[in-house]
Amino acid sequence: MMEVLSFFFNSLVFPGLLFASLIGLLYAGIDRKVTGHMQHRIGPPIWQEYLDVGKLMGKEDITPSAAQSLVFNVAPLIALGAVTTVMLLLPVNSAQPALTAVADLIVIIYLLNIPAICLMLGGYSSGGPFGSVGAARYVVQLFSYEFVFILAIIAVIARVGSLDLTAVVGYQAQRGWLILDLRLIPALIAMIISAQGKLMRVPFDIPEAETEIVHGALTEYSGPKLAIWRIVYNIETLVVAGFIAALFLGGPVAYTIGGFQIPGVADFLIKTLIIVLITTILRNIMARLRIDQALKFYWTFAAFLAVLSLMLVLVVP
Amino acid sequence: MTFVVPVGPQHPMLKEPEFFRFEVKGEEIVGVDIRLGYAHRGIEEALSRRSYKHNVYLCERICGICNVVHSTTYCQTVEQLAGVEPPERAKYIRAILMELERIHSHLLWLGVAAHQIGFNTLFMLAWRDREYVMDLRELISGGRVHSAMNTIGGVRRDVRSEHVPTMLRGLDKLEQSARYYTDLWGSDRTILARCTNVGVLSKDDAIKFCAVGPLARASDVKVDIRKDDPYGAYGALSFNVITEQEGDVWAKGMVRLREILESIKIVRQALKELPSGPVRTPVELKIPPNETVERTEAPRGELIYYIRSNGTDTPERVRVRTPTYGNFASMKSMFAGGTVAEIPIVMWSIDPCFGCNDRITLVDSHTGKARVVSFDELRRWKK
Amino acid sequence: MPRILPQVLRNLFRKPFTVKYPYVKVEPPEGYRGRLAINKERCIRCWLCIHTCPARAISVDKETKRPSIWLGRCTFCGECAEVCPTKAITMTKEFEYTTLYEK
Ligand code: SF4
Ligand code: SF4
Repeated sequence: MMEVLSFFFNSLVFPGLLFASLIGLLYAGIDRKVTGHMQHRIGPPIWQEYLDVGKLMGKEDITPSAAQSLVFNVAPLIALGAVTTVMLLLPVNSAQPALTAVADLIVIIYLLNIPAICLMLGGYSSGGPFGSVGAARYVVQLFSYEFVFILAIIAVIARVGSLDLTAVVGYQAQRGWLILDLRLIPALIAMIISAQGKLMRVPFDIPEAETEIVHGALTEYSGPKLAIWRIVYNIETLVVAGFIAALFLGGPVAYTIGGFQIPGVADFLIKTLIIVLITTILRNIMARLRIDQALKFYWTFAAFLAVLSLMLVLVVP
Repeated sequence: MTFVVPVGPQHPMLKEPEFFRFEVKGEEIVGVDIRLGYAHRGIEEALSRRSYKHNVYLCERICGICNVVHSTTYCQTVEQLAGVEPPERAKYIRAILMELERIHSHLLWLGVAAHQIGFNTLFMLAWRDREYVMDLRELISGGRVHSAMNTIGGVRRDVRSEHVPTMLRGLDKLEQSARYYTDLWGSDRTILARCTNVGVLSKDDAIKFCAVGPLARASDVKVDIRKDDPYGAYGALSFNVITEQEGDVWAKGMVRLREILESIKIVRQALKELPSGPVRTPVELKIPPNETVERTEAPRGELIYYIRSNGTDTPERVRVRTPTYGNFASMKSMFAGGTVAEIPIVMWSIDPCFGCNDRITLVDSHTGKARVVSFDELRRWKK
Repeated sequence: MPRILPQVLRNLFRKPFTVKYPYVKVEPPEGYRGRLAINKERCIRCWLCIHTCPARAISVDKETKRPSIWLGRCTFCGECAEVCPTKAITMTKEFEYTTLYEK
């Protein structure tokens, strides 16, 4: 009985759906606010994203008649399920994730791809030309960043010698953060570059390039379904940031300052926020690349960084 | 598999309604079909129903961005018809206003171009600095956008001497930021990646398709009405005609950015050499039957006005050839072989102003067929 | 390194350029062409303003027998203020004339 209850609590409240979406939306708000200030304007208030999603939730639910409605309607829900599951597998409060089943990095990598696949399905099934072009572009983009993403993870795995995220965090607790290891710096850079592509941020916001293909795969979505996509997107941001934090920044660490017990989740929030802010800076200083240029960039420069890191880990003692 | 990507009449890339039908194979454009005429407002007809004096304000509203150059050209044409010469000081003030307008138009172009390639920070910053030139325009004309300065036979307001220091200070700020953007446009890696070798218009094509303005100058065709056929005060002002060799989007941007610096120079010189005297000569507006053509260099290129008078105080016919109209022909050659990702920036690189381009016109489908769409057909097709 | 980075980081710590408009008012410069004011006493009913208005925005008010301006059509060109022999029409600096109703 207790186990079932705690499972529901974990998946629905903390660190699952509620926590993840609240923090994800908050980060999106911070991202927009900071972007505004970087562009020398005021920007929306931090809670703007809650208002936007709330407004979308209250709108009429429309399915375009040209869409294959089952796929079109289910895609956002599957994506939401996938990102929430990743949240359960990430170390949020301590090195131990909420879901202590045997799930290693490979599972996380797969789960992180599900939103992308759902996005493509949603785009293709929407029946609009922009959705198809957006989905086609996202396929290409997936094949560019995913390779680098996995290579960078392999570099970490090679360094730590374990496929288990808990072990990676535990290792860092004893031997220091992996970011301090110079051999892994190229892997970290490659990881952030591929996260930028995964999260569709400038310069890799190609699949949803506003001026070219309206909103890419999401063009035909509106109302509550779009709201779910927004939540998915924001949780994905949080999840990817949390994943990078766990791999390179030592994951959540609980501190005791002056007798106060600061839970690991505070540490988690700070670290993920830093990573989100780095991606915010990156997205404000560049123009969008073309899809062929992005592909080339990932398979040359970013892949080179990741491979370099892997080589260094394997060769240099 | 080719499919059709419709761009317009409503599309986030377009700021005004116009329709482009792209046939796309994967990412590559294999055909383009341009249909114009959505923003038809019947201005030419309206112009021939109002008196010469009232028309100044209607001409000003053909285009919001280049309103001064429209009203100036109109006034120049009517002045030529009526055989009057505006005072020197008025000519200088017109030149100042037109150059301020060029600066503001080009900064606006830069902002939107940056937005088209996803560089939103540059977009915001360029429009921030555009605010300075709007303030200057407000200072001398009393309106941020529509200056309402021109009248037949001169200008309605004088540039007051106490405004000159403020103007010079504003110009300094503008120069600083224009230099920054020129530098940025020439050095930022992502901008270069997106804009070089994209939408190339070769010199031969530019001449063949009669490209005008910055579009032609970016393809190394040295046309600038201000130099080729000086009007107003431009004969007395010294400036360079900016050209670039490459003919791609980057070159088109560079021409515009360097023209901002050139325009700042012109305004400074005009403010310094501003002749004294009246700003307006009275005109009798009953013009005997005659006809004339006048051309000027608008921010987007050559602007032509043709007016026929018939002895009354209303013109019989006014024909406006706006620069965007002259540039549409070059567009197809610029799109050829490009990708979907290039559509926005290539389209924007001609700095299209559909509002002033309001004609029912040719449909040039990818089969090479050309025909004219009737208004009825267009209306039916819209549904 | 991208050229715009220093500028972006500097902006982060600068006061935003945006003016918080409805709370902070911006004073237009002298000679701004804003809402028109008609001084009914000074008007001598010469109707010059009606003839000169390019937008045909001025009509005769039935009750007061004085010109009245339909701001919905007015283009704020200032011709009427210029032509009025007694300076009964003047341009103010007021620019907040957005309304939900036609007046
Ligand atoms: S400002 Fe111009 S448009 Fe407005 S009422 Fe006066 S003359 Fe007419
Ligand atoms: S021009 Fe002046 S005086 Fe004449 S009617 Fe108009 S407001 Fe009255």
